Formats: sequence, C-alpha cells, structure tokens
Amino acid sequence: MNLYQPHLMRIREITDETADTRTLRLEFKDPGVAEQFQFSAGQFGEYSVFGEGESTFCIASPPTRRGYIECSFKATGKVTQALRRLAVGDTVGFRGPYGNSFPLDEMKGQSILFIAGGIGLAPVRCLIWNVLDLRDQFKDVTIVYGARSVNDLVYKRELEEWSQRSDIKLCLAVDPGGQTPDWKGLVALTPNAVQQSVTASENTFAVICGPPIMIKFTLPVLDKLGFPAERIYTTLENRMKCGLGKCGRCNIGSTYVCKDGPVFTAAEIKKMPQEF
Amino acid sequence: MMYRFLTHEELASLVAELVASGTRVIAPVRAKDDASQIDYLPIRKLEDAAFGVRLPRRSLKEFFLPPTEVLLYYKQTKDGVEIREVPTEAPPQVILGATSCDVAALEVVDKVMGWGYRDELWFGRREATTIVTLLCSMMDSTCFCTAVGLGPDSARASDLYLVPVEGGYLAQVLTPKGEALLEGRGAAASEALQASAEAARSEARKKVEVNLPTIPAEFSGWLSQNFDNPFWKTLALRCHGCGACAALCPTCHCFDMVDEHDSAESGARRRNWDSCQTSKFTVHSSGHNPRQSQSERFRQRMQHKFSIYPSRFGEILCTGCGRCSRICPGGMDLPEVLGKLLALAGNKPEGSAQ
Repeated sequence: MNLYQPHLMRIREITDETADTRTLRLEFKDPGVAEQFQFSAGQFGEYSVFGEGESTFCIASPPTRRGYIECSFKATGKVTQALRRLAVGDTVGFRGPYGNSFPLDEMKGQSILFIAGGIGLAPVRCLIWNVLDLRDQFKDVTIVYGARSVNDLVYKRELEEWSQRSDIKLCLAVDPGGQTPDWKGLVALTPNAVQQSVTASENTFAVICGPPIMIKFTLPVLDKLGFPAERIYTTLENRMKCGLGKCGRCNIGSTYVCKDGPVFTAAEIKKMPQEF
Repeated sequence: MMYRFLTHEELASLVAELVASGTRVIAPVRAKDDASQIDYLPIRKLEDAAFGVRLPRRSLKEFFLPPTEVLLYYKQTKDGVEIREVPTEAPPQVILGATSCDVAALEVVDKVMGWGYRDELWFGRREATTIVTLLCSMMDSTCFCTAVGLGPDSARASDLYLVPVEGGYLAQVLTPKGEALLEGRGAAASEALQASAEAARSEARKKVEVNLPTIPAEFSGWLSQNFDNPFWKTLALRCHGCGACAALCPTCHCFDMVDEHDSAESGARRRNWDSCQTSKFTVHSSGHNPRQSQSERFRQRMQHKFSIYPSRFGEILCTGCGRCSRICPGGMDLPEVLGKLLALAGNKPEGSAQ
C-alpha cells in the first residue's frame, strides 16, 4: 500500500448545516483501521470520491469521540459537489491524519477564547468538543461565532446546546443585514463582536479560524485585549494535493502548511511572507 | 582516486548481458523524431548509445517520477469501492552514460521524497536502478552545474563514474551496486592513465566555471529576506507561465493528483507532473489565489529552488543543467537571472531589501 492510497470509509450520517454546507459522519470499513486510528484536534485529511478526486478538510469531530470522524464542507468544486451527491452507506476514501495540532496539553488549566467565522467553525469545533469532553481540565470557555447571516450559521443544534450550558459563554453574531426578526444574538461583524463580548486575556489562549479578512481585523482586537501573539492560534488552509510535503503546492515561503501546520500561532504567521 | 580500465568491448558485453537478462538499459540515443537531438531511451546494444553529442532533451526524471503514474485503480461495486494497489517494487534498470547534472538531481530530490513520509514509488525505482555516469563534454554557455556545487566531473549519486580514454573508459567504482554491475570486469589502470582521467575531469570543470560564480551559502537567506523586493516584477516580465521549465527540470518534482475514469464504474487515481508556474496551481475552490500574478509564481520557483529547499534540506534544488533557459519561449535565462541576483546580493547585502 503506497502512501497515496486511502482507507475506505462508509458514510454513516449526513447533516445539512446550511443550504450549501454539509457534514458527513464517516466510519472506517476495516475494523482494524478503525481500532488503530488516532488523531489530535487541528489535524486534517484528504477525503476522496473515487472517479472525482481528493479534497482537503480538517477533521471536524473531536478525538474524544471514538468510532467515527466528521468533515464539513461547502459544495464549491468538483470533489465537494461529488461528495454532496453521495448518500448514507456510500463509500469515500480517506488519507490522514496529517499535519500538526493545537497544543491541548499547554492549554490545560487555562481559559480558552474560541473565535470562528462561517465554516471556519469546523476546525475550531473539533477543539471545542475536545475541551468540553475534558471540561474540568480547563478554566473559562468563551465562544464567539459569527456568520454572514442566520442561515449561514453552521452546527446550529450544537450552538443551541452550547447556549444552554452554564459552563460556556457563547456569543453569536451575524453581519448587519444578516439577522432575522427573531434573532437574539449580536448584529455585528465578528471582530466587533469580539470587542463587545470579550474583556479579559489573562491566562487565556485564543483560537481563531475564519475568512482571512475576519482574521485580519480580529487580530488587532486581540492585541488590544492583551493577547500575546504566541497565545493566539489559528489554522491555515492552502490548496493541497498530497498533504504530506511532497507535491509542492501549499508553501508559504519556506513553510509547508501541510507538515509545519495547519496550526500556527499569530506570531509564526507574522514572520511568514504575506502570500496566503 | 582509483580507476579500472574497461575496454569498449567489455562495456559492450556488459550491456549485451544486461539486456539478455531482461534488465532495461537506458542511455542517451539519437532522438527518433530528430537525429540532431538526444533522448534517454532504452538501448539493446552499446552501439545504440550516442555519448558526448549533446545534453539529452529531457532529464532522467521520467524514469523515477513518470509524467503520469497510477497510484491506485478503483472500481465501484454493489458494496462500495474496490481498490487495486499498484506495486511499489520496480524491475531492475541500468542507466548508462548520463550526465552529472541529471544523476545528482536524483539524490537532491531524494530529500523531499523521504521527508517524514517515504514515497515508496520513487524509492522503489531508485533502489532498482544502477547508475553509470559519464564525464560530460557537452557543456555550453548556458550550463552552470559548478555554480550549484556540482560539476561535469561530479560523481554524486552515481554507482560508477566513467571517463572516456583511448580504447575504452576509466571506471571509478563508487558503490557496492557499481561493483556488482562490473562483476570483476576491467583491469588496473596505469598511474599515467589515472592521472589523465583526473586531468580530463578538472579540465571539464573549468569549462563550466567561467559561466557563473559559485552560489554562496548566504544567498538562500538573502533571497528570503528579499521576498517582497520589487525586482521580482521586472525579472518575471518575460515569463509566460507555460511551465516548460518545470517539465524539463531534473529537480522540479511538484505534482497533481487526479482521478481518471476508464468507464462509469472504474478508473485510476494518477499523479501527473505539475508546475508552480501555472495560474491554477494554488487557486482555492473559493476562487482565492495566494499567487495571483506571474511574478509571484516566478518568485516561488526561484525561492523554492534557491532558498526554501536549501533552508529545509541543505541543498539547492537545481543542478545547473540549463534546460529551462534553452527551452523558454520568453527567453527567460536562469543563469542570467541568477547573475543579476548574485550581483544585487553582493553589492548590497542588506540595504537592497526595500
């Protein structure tokens, strides 16, 4: 078996998050592979539809839930559109896990501020559930999640669940114009939502993922709140093919996003050439 | 350095035996479509080879990383998908009379192919191959192998290195594979003959050395510091983004992975050569492209070869063969660009950053 050969997985469950975003719950067909499979929050994989090709997504479910993995994707390209045509029981390919992960051990005993925009919640959600499944090992958990409109919020059932929990501070926001009459969250761009809802940075890690424009305008807010760049984590995405440092596609300067990342601190990103 | 003297007849019998045993022997031969050109192709006897005519049109890359290669076969079935694996072991092959630039490139690319994850398809072919390099006499004004730490006399990545002499070759054995290939052929060479081989190698070096000075180790760091320097825009003006340079480059190894149907139910996943010079190489499905302009793509090629690869793997990702310059439809000339950059780096080591 060469390193480009995927494992086979069966689609166990399909959840439509929004009109164009879907989550697949996948299980390995080979029980031996299922037994052996391990990953850490932040890692990614190459998912494939045979006859269409492979696509790169993070693993959106936490490593604390055994027996399956989930991926969330927007149907925009050839492979994602093909993935969308598949039904429960159908077969997909999976290679991974690849890349580095969030420093969970370092985060233990500390507070965590999660900030996500749009489908950027997927990699953050993996870490959120990882932390919630080990809730007593962390201090305050704050989640600021923004989307273009109410319809664009993903993982709605989980947002509802998080909003009910007393051990999470959840702040939801939609961009101005994206609200519905019964919307109870903030109407603000995500950076402004962070500004309005976050006050402290002591003993806190920030984990942020979303569109580049959102990250760009949120970093100064975090800076003002006193977050050192070394304690702000994000995950980068670049077009990839192999996912393992061979195909030469995901470089940002001398950084291979697939192998050095996808998780980086804001301090590391500042040092990279601005080509992403 | 110890050489063994090998007569023409001995080399010819070696080739004949290899071919008879089913081993593929690849050597420079006259191109089938153009007798003035040379290609690396399988030969059946030594007389098929055309040594010392001119640099082959393409490097040895295709014998280790084919232009298109099956990674797996798939078939849709009632219960899902069946995958048929492809073998990672390769049949034995011998490369005879290749140039130092093409041979050394294999060891340079080994670094990335073995980085973290081992590419068994690449290494399967590497391990099954015995390489006999021949002292290059075909250098022209575009060659710059000596500038990247190699040379026409370099035996890097070779199992045997041959120096042509009257009546045959002086063979330098470099590895057990090379020793096994010779199987005791060849006689001890006289001291005078050995000295003449050394002299021929050093003469060959001098012919290339005049083309471009050796690239200093600090160049890698200087290039990364000058990532945002506006000179990239000027340097890339003649680049059309066709990617011919990458196709001919012995060290360019970037690839694409695609599925190709042969029926509605079955097909193959393949990897195909690709090039960072094309506009779609990095485009995201959202439409966002981190490298939008040709100058950014040209910068990537230069940075990858002369800064990124050296900083990650301690090697320049270029062996100075000059094929990119000879093929470029826009007249982009790598030694010329390197010459300009080296002058800038030398003249203003820090100040030229902005």
